[in-house]
Amino acid sequence: MMRAWILLSLVSILGCTQRDDASQAASKVLIFKHGRLSGDERTLSGLLREFERRHPGVTVREEVLPSSSDQQHQYYTMSLDGGRAPFDVLSLDVIWVQEFSKAGWIAPLDDPPSTIRREDFFPGPIEAATWDGKLYAVPWYIDAGVLYYRKDLLERYALDPPRTWPELLRAARLVLEAERDPKLVGFVWQGRQYEGLVCVALEVLRSNGSDLWVGDRDRAEEGLQLLRDLVWKHKISPLSIGMADEDSTRRLFGEGRALFMRNWPYAWSLLQREGSPVQGKIGVGPIPAFPGLSGASVLGGWVLAVAKHSPHQKEARDLIEFLSSPDVQRRMAMELGYNPTRIALYAEQPLLDAKPILKDLLSIFLSARPRPITPYYLLLSQAAQPELSALVVGTKEPRDVLHAIRRQGDRLLPRRVRTSAEREP
Amino acid sequence: MKVAAFNDQKADGRRWNLSERVWGYVFAAPAMTLVVLMALAPIAAALWLSLRHRLPIFGVDEFVGLANYLDLLGDERFWAALGTTLYFTCLSVGLELPIGLGLALLLDGLTDERTRFGRLAQTVAIVPWTVPTVVSAQMWLWLYQPDYGLLNYALARIGVAASIDWLADPRWAIHAAIIMDVWKTTPFAALMMLAGLKALPQDLRAAVRIDGAGWWDGFRSITLPLLTPVILITLVFRTMDAVRVFDAVYVLTGGGPGNTTETLSIYAYKTLFQSLQLGYGSALATAMFLISVILSLFYVLLLRRRVRDMV
Repeated sequence: MMRAWILLSLVSILGCTQRDDASQAASKVLIFKHGRLSGDERTLSGLLREFERRHPGVTVREEVLPSSSDQQHQYYTMSLDGGRAPFDVLSLDVIWVQEFSKAGWIAPLDDPPSTIRREDFFPGPIEAATWDGKLYAVPWYIDAGVLYYRKDLLERYALDPPRTWPELLRAARLVLEAERDPKLVGFVWQGRQYEGLVCVALEVLRSNGSDLWVGDRDRAEEGLQLLRDLVWKHKISPLSIGMADEDSTRRLFGEGRALFMRNWPYAWSLLQREGSPVQGKIGVGPIPAFPGLSGASVLGGWVLAVAKHSPHQKEARDLIEFLSSPDVQRRMAMELGYNPTRIALYAEQPLLDAKPILKDLLSIFLSARPRPITPYYLLLSQAAQPELSALVVGTKEPRDVLHAIRRQGDRLLPRRVRTSAEREP
Repeated sequence: MKVAAFNDQKADGRRWNLSERVWGYVFAAPAMTLVVLMALAPIAAALWLSLRHRLPIFGVDEFVGLANYLDLLGDERFWAALGTTLYFTCLSVGLELPIGLGLALLLDGLTDERTRFGRLAQTVAIVPWTVPTVVSAQMWLWLYQPDYGLLNYALARIGVAASIDWLADPRWAIHAAIIMDVWKTTPFAALMMLAGLKALPQDLRAAVRIDGAGWWDGFRSITLPLLTPVILITLVFRTMDAVRVFDAVYVLTGGGPGNTTETLSIYAYKTLFQSLQLGYGSALATAMFLISVILSLFYVLLLRRRVRDMV
């Protein structure tokens, strides 16, 4: 009896393998590596099945990585540095494109298909995905830093959403004093020692017409001073901000315990869903600026690229063309809340009706600026993170922090990048 | 029957014309090969890499001799990480051993593992150690939350009004990691020493009691000296673990705020996998390896002297 069972299972295993072999021989298998998306995973797999229907003979296999950006970067660098990567299409954080292009890990999209025209996309991500004059990746979805505010609290004290930092400080102080709620804090943002803090710092410095690694020193120092003062002088941000990331600030704000929050647009649908304590009480706007200047959000988002050593270059490009098409982007926006990278979609009435926030985001996305476009960005950011973190928790002075960051920048940024950024207003 | 089999083997050995010594090597070869492949080869590869500048994104891959190690000597961040690592090690091991010894004595004195209570007490005591580090670090992350964490709530209940920002306050962060590590690995120390206590000759301890010595005298002049080898071995294990601490601190703070909790392994990890300086990162890893070797040599000498004294 036992022997019969073993025999039977062996036969069935053999049967399975044979069938797999047969189907693989008949079709090409594309492996699509991407980080875990929030929301229902059936949306993306449904879209991929649709791609397979349109391209007979091609099967797409999804391989999902953890949603943490650092972990994805680690996976990609380790497997790509080995030479032969076990995947064909990958999704990348915009800040990696230069690095991966220079290392020769992803293939340039020479004469991209007519459906991928640079001018159809937001300029920021296209700039970040271009290396040495060639497009290496196609923007998939876009992100930019925005300011969330409690509409109900501002209205209670007849305040407008702040356009400048002094306005934000004034509003926070006024509301905190009047509410007398020990649980309420003024302004939360990402202050942990990680990439998110670099984004926040860049936004504050750029809103003063400077930058972290380049630009006017005095203005940069003034920006860093503001960041530190938010915690230590104005006390509208708690010290625990030094450990805060996107999710922890989103939860704090979501419990109704913060007046302002800097975060990415992903938080919007989570804050507005049924049962959220702040549902219907929030608004979103651009990051404030120093008086007389205009702010600029830091650009985020993900792009799609083809692995250089993939044996299925054509099919991989077809998949990228499909995933960045207006149809797919529309569905990802409607069903998953990922913001399209094609500008034209922001004029479509049905989409705007379903997602009114897109109207507010359009101008922010148009003016959003990428982080320094250089293959050495991660080195720069890595070196800046501990400095900025020390600034936030009050162990280092703005002048010393800026000095350390600039020294790294001078070492790593090519002169061309520095001068072009300095020329910008 | 047995003799016959033995003779057969001997006959085989003669036929192959190999001495017993050579046969020993032959039989040990598979295991040795495995050790070489799994342990020595990666170490050798890291050593080789640490003598090169290897930066995939710069397209750099060249032999530079000891340049990485010379850079290391002038790298403030390296020295800071080394300081943090040693501080973490001294404090956590320094707390774990006495607390673990106390726990072991308690378990040994109060309970008998044959009773249900004894088994239960031992099981409960070992629980923190069995939880994967990443999971327990995540738990402590919640406990340390300044607003709704249990720790500050408990402090407030016993009258400590100031709420502590355990992880964001640069003075507290490394200590928060140490507290978690002590909670997690004291059971291991206790278990080791409990086993040592159980192995002590019971008649000696009984004789001391009959001679009228109090608990403290008995502990000081009989139990402690006899237990010393076990304590030393526990010390070695714990020190080696603490020197290469990574997951506990990485999950709690990621090395922040302002690098105040960056240990050597976190610095090496960031250099290797985040900024992709493979050569320099390997030099960091090798430096960690050397520090471990020096520490273990020190302990080996200590142990040997101790054992010689006892003989």
